[in-house]
Amino acid sequence: MNPIAIIRQFFQGLTAETTPGQIGAGITLGFLIGLLPKATLTAQLLIVLMMATRVNIPMAILSVLAVSLANPLLDKISDPIGYALLTSGALRPLWTSLYNMPIAPWTGFNNTVVPGGLVLGALLSAPVFFAGRRFGVFYNEKFRDRVMNSRFVKGLKASWLLDWYFKGGV
Amino acid sequence: MRWSYIAPRLALLVLLWAFFFFAFDPLLKWGLVKGIEKGAGARAEIASLKTTILRPSLKITGLAVGDPGEEYRNLVEFSELSFSAEGAPLLEKKLVVDSAALKGLRFGTARKTSGKLPFVKEEPSELVEGFKKESKDFALERASEAKADAAADYKVDPAELGSVKLAKELEESYQKDYAAISSRLDTKKYEAGLEALKARYEKAKSGKNFAKQAKDYADIGKETKKLTSDFKKDKEETEAALARAKDSFKALEEARRKDLAAVMARMKLPSLDTQSIARMLAGPLLAGKTAQAMKWAALARKYMPSSTKGVLKNEARRGREVHFPKEKSYPTLLVRKLSLTGELGLEDPLEYSGTVEGLTTQPKVYGRPTTILVKGAKGARRLDFKSSIDAAGDELKTDSELSFAGMPVKQLQLGSPASFLVDITGGTAAFEADLKTSGEEIIGRAAARLAGAAFKPKADNIKAAPLRSAVEASFSGLSSALIETGISGTIKSPKLSIKTDLANALSKAFSGAMGAELGKAQEAAQKKVDEALKPYRAKLDGLAASKQAELDGKLKEAEAKISGLSEGLLKNLAPGKVKLPKFKL
Repeated sequence: MNPIAIIRQFFQGLTAETTPGQIGAGITLGFLIGLLPKATLTAQLLIVLMMATRVNIPMAILSVLAVSLANPLLDKISDPIGYALLTSGALRPLWTSLYNMPIAPWTGFNNTVVPGGLVLGALLSAPVFFAGRRFGVFYNEKFRDRVMNSRFVKGLKASWLLDWYFKGGV
Repeated sequence: MRWSYIAPRLALLVLLWAFFFFAFDPLLKWGLVKGIEKGAGARAEIASLKTTILRPSLKITGLAVGDPGEEYRNLVEFSELSFSAEGAPLLEKKLVVDSAALKGLRFGTARKTSGKLPFVKEEPSELVEGFKKESKDFALERASEAKADAAADYKVDPAELGSVKLAKELEESYQKDYAAISSRLDTKKYEAGLEALKARYEKAKSGKNFAKQAKDYADIGKETKKLTSDFKKDKEETEAALARAKDSFKALEEARRKDLAAVMARMKLPSLDTQSIARMLAGPLLAGKTAQAMKWAALARKYMPSSTKGVLKNEARRGREVHFPKEKSYPTLLVRKLSLTGELGLEDPLEYSGTVEGLTTQPKVYGRPTTILVKGAKGARRLDFKSSIDAAGDELKTDSELSFAGMPVKQLQLGSPASFLVDITGGTAAFEADLKTSGEEIIGRAAARLAGAAFKPKADNIKAAPLRSAVEASFSGLSSALIETGISGTIKSPKLSIKTDLANALSKAFSGAMGAELGKAQEAAQKKVDEALKPYRAKLDGLAASKQAELDGKLKEAEAKISGLSEGLLKNLAPGKVKLPKFKL
């Protein structure tokens, strides 16, 4: 996904896709992406998924940033999980065949924090989603109108270029 | 048409194309130039750099790297480097180049602009400075006044002697080494192991199950033999380690020789020792070349992949990478074959060509050493160079051989203007060298044989007319010479030994002109140095003898105990000792 599209979705997301469920889903997806190293095909595919689905983009991006900051701590959990998976005898044939496939190495599957992060993200996705949904309710009640009426968003709406570019969005 | 959808994507494509068309090559060129300048400590230029993305390729033309030691000279330059990468390995994040070409590789060419970088200061080499000082201090002024009792009034201060300083250092390091060796040797471990086996034997002996008893006996026997052989191995290693520690005492002899030369220089008398003369003559030149070679070797090692790095150890910024067996494995970067051509020498250059095979960032994955083979011939000149760099094992090992026959010698200066100088002009040289490194250790030798050259001594600093004419006469009939050097030690701190027949000629001239007086003065000076060193040497030898005796005693005692225990145990385990069950028929 190109950076312009991400910026576009960010601005759109400030006012659209703001139901508690969409905010919760955005935070969950962002959490999962945040756990993984970004320079892998796995993380890039998840970013595409984030952009393609109707989750709340700004919350997802903020969640990615927040989790990325906590990576040094979270890696201490995801690294041993990934190491256990990658060195498991039962899964060895699967990893070996993936390792010998073209493109697959780009997913970074053999880096402990990728499978570890995916497993940790999957395990925590339900609690993160419910917590995110509750935050969505709170955000809609307390902040949504304030954001909509802020000078920044109003300025954006008034801009003819962005109006043309985000036609139908804002 | 949905222009709001198409336009941004088109714009992004145009931007991407523009980046690769206008910015990528200049950025890569800038990065390369800065990287080379940082490594070389001098200016570097690249005339042009061109990359292609769809079929990945790179072409660099006109690369020149300045010499940090000489402002208007290039260390190295080449006219073209080109390669293109294979497509399939790129899908696996690997850059594999089947064949690359490096053309017009030349060394020491002239520069039109200064190659000096601002704020870069060349650190003086300890080796070069040491040889320069030795050469400069080689005294010839008072040779004419040499008398047997010249050393009588001269007082040697032990604190100023390098050999005394070294003896003190050796004493300290030997004690440390001994403590480390002694602590490593844990004889109690073997005794405890044998006692535990004895207890197992007693337990097995009282057992009723015949089959289990036989198995236990066999296991105990095997373990006893293993423990005994482990102890023997440990003992041998300990003895060898102590012998190695004592081996460092040999350096004292070299320090003693240097002290004598220094004392003679302080008395303004020349040393008759051929090694000191050889160091004075060829030392500065050889040390300069060695220091430069070592600097490049250290730089290459810095950027060379270590055997395990990037293969088995953590290579990711986050997490750890676990590797699996590959049916077809490529290193991350591999150049299978690089063919190179170039010229050696500036006037009437010698053209050469060669190949470099197996250049890689992951030698353990590649599993083969990088090899370099260069050959060139023109008339009587013949160049042969072969080198193997093996980083596939636990330690980086290199093995190089160079032979260059018929090398023209335009002008060569040996010695120091401050003491004595020999100008060598004309003629040819045959140079042969071999060098091996293993980890940090380095060992090699080089020999240069000069033939058909004119040797002109500059003996202005020798005030004594008879000595001056003797020195001049000793060089007048010369047309050939042999200079040999040996290198040992480590890459960071190499040690050079130099031998040359020019030194023999000079030594003969000194003793011939000065008669026995100079020899006697040297003997007296030697005596003084030896006397000053004697108590320290005696202390060192005493320390080594006492520690050796202490360790021998410890080892003997432990050996007696361990062999007694193991022999007793093995005797009990003999087949005859196993009681067979009684069967009633």
